Order: sequence, then C-alpha cells, then structure tokens
Amino acid sequence: MAHSLKPECTPLKHKYDACFNAWFEGYLQPLSAPALAGGAAAKPLTQEAREAAQRGKREEYERTCGKVWEAYRGCLSGALTEKRLDDLLQQAREENPMLEPESPESARQR
Amino acid sequence: MKFFRQTHVYDEPFPTVTLAFFLRYPNPYASHIASVDVIDRTFTERGTLVTTRLILKRGSLPRWAPKGILGPRTETWVIEESEVDPSRGATQVRTRNLDHVKIMKVVEYAHLRPHPDDPTRTLHETTATIHSNFSRLLQNRIEKFGLNKFRQNVEKSRYGFSMVLRALRSHRLQVLDGAVGGVGPWESIGDTWEPQSFSEPSSGDTVEGDGELPSLWQTWRR
Repeated sequence: MAHSLKPECTPLKHKYDACFNAWFEGYLQPLSAPALAGGAAAKPLTQEAREAAQRGKREEYERTCGKVWEAYRGCLSGALTEKRLDDLLQQAREENPMLEPESPESARQR
Repeated sequence: MKFFRQTHVYDEPFPTVTLAFFLRYPNPYASHIASVDVIDRTFTERGTLVTTRLILKRGSLPRWAPKGILGPRTETWVIEESEVDPSRGATQVRTRNLDHVKIMKVVEYAHLRPHPDDPTRTLHETTATIHSNFSRLLQNRIEKFGLNKFRQNVEKSRYGFSMVLRALRSHRLQVLDGAVGGVGPWESIGDTWEPQSFSEPSSGDTVEGDGELPSLWQTWRR
C-alpha cells in the first residue's frame, strides 16, 4: 500500500486502507434478493429493500472502519496545514466545485 | 488547450475494475507516486460513496522548462475526486493538479461502467484537458509536452492497472482453492511483484487535438 504524505501516519493509513478495502469489495457487489432454494434466479430488489441494504452497508463501514478512520484523519490534519495543502485544496474547491455528478434520482429530487 | 480522449475495455466486471482503480497504487509502473492519502470520504443520500484522495507525484521537467520557477523540487500535488455508485454501476473520477497550475493545468476525467453489450466487461472512458496559462511563447510548447506526457502515462498506467487486475483475479482463485485465508490482495500489491509478461492492453479510439472539448461535461455527467 502506498505511503502517507506524513510518514508517521503511514501505519494508521495502512490499517484504515485494509479495513476500507475489505468492506469496499462487498459494497461494490450488486444488491439482489437471495436466490431461492432450488436454483431460481435472484430477483431485483424493491426500492425499500435496496435502501435498507445500502443503509446496512453504510452502518457496517462506520462500525468496522469508523474508529481507525478518525485516528488516521486526526494524524493527517496537522500535516495538511503544515504543508499549506489546505490552502491549495480550498482554492481548488472554489475554482471548481467538488464533484456532483447528475443522476436521474437527484434531478427528480430538485 | 489540448484534449485527449480514449476508450478502453476491460475483460473484468465493473466491481472488480472499480476495486482495482482504488488499489492501483503502488504498482511497479507507478514509481513516481510518493504518497496517497484519503482526505475525505462520505456517503450521499443516494447511497453513493464520494472520496477525495490527495496524491503526491514526482515528475521530471523538459530541458527547456523555465528555470527557477519550480526550484529544485519537481513534485506535484494531485487531487482525485471520485463517486462510486454500485447500484447504477457507475464510477466517475476527476483528477487535477493542485499546484503549478499557472504553468500547466491537467484535468482528467475517468468514467467506468459496465459495457452496454456485455455486462461482464467494463468500459473505461478517459477524457483530459491540458491547459497552460504561461507566457504566450511557451504556452503551445508546454501544452504539447503535457499532451505527449499524458499519452505516455496513460499507456504506462494501463500496464500497472492490468497487473492489479490480474492480482485480484489470482487472489480470488486462491481463496476459492482455500490457499489463502483472510489476507486481502492489497497486502501484496507492489511489494512482491516484479514486472512480468502481461497481455498487451487493447486500446480503443484515441482522439487528441487543440481547442475546447465541447462535450466534456456531457461526457463527464452522462
């Protein structure tokens, strides 16, 4: 795994990355209802069931990786200021707003 | 302003390619990557995952590059903003340099999605703009240099990416065989592998040129 910009944070970063990667693999799997016994094909989920499954994945991430994420962030925060990276990040955000791709869902919500 | 566009098809499905995208550093073809940090990660209302990573790259400048502007260091901070939507099957990534933007600004957009004709494969669309705001005399030269460099890097990063994909594949097979338990493939990436024979990645259409790229944002937001 790649190093952190602050060498002291590298062990925490590796710990966090390992946690995230393990969770991420499951997060990426398409959601579907469990296949019925007897080999019937998996059915697509209802909107409600999908939202519940997404909530479940999010909670699982916070439960398993939340603590190490806070520790890693805490380690890094001073370094961003020290290297004046927070200024650069702020400039970049002002110049070009953060990523907000359009989607049918978000368009409908507006 | 110069632009670059390329489409590439991977033989792996969308979840594997997206996972590989996040695991692509380090690899033997990315020795210029000095550090990678996640500085922000949140979930949206729609259940998508938005990540900001800060990457430090070391690079070399051409001989004719203006002296004294960069000093001895030729490092660049790069910000990578991504959104992963597993239910729609879409990963969008925007990458750009944070410093030296007066000399050259490179913005790369990547869009990963299942291949419309074959969902077991994945389409990777790359679009980039290269823009220099430096002196009129050097502007075109810098942009041309940037485009060339970008093209070389796209090829190099494909090799690295292919290695990561292969590693994920073989790790999964090992897990099925019961040979490995509990160790993620990312534990070993970059540490133990040497560059070896790999199948030449098949590239799609490459488009390059001058001027604005009219459909850039449409492509990005599609």
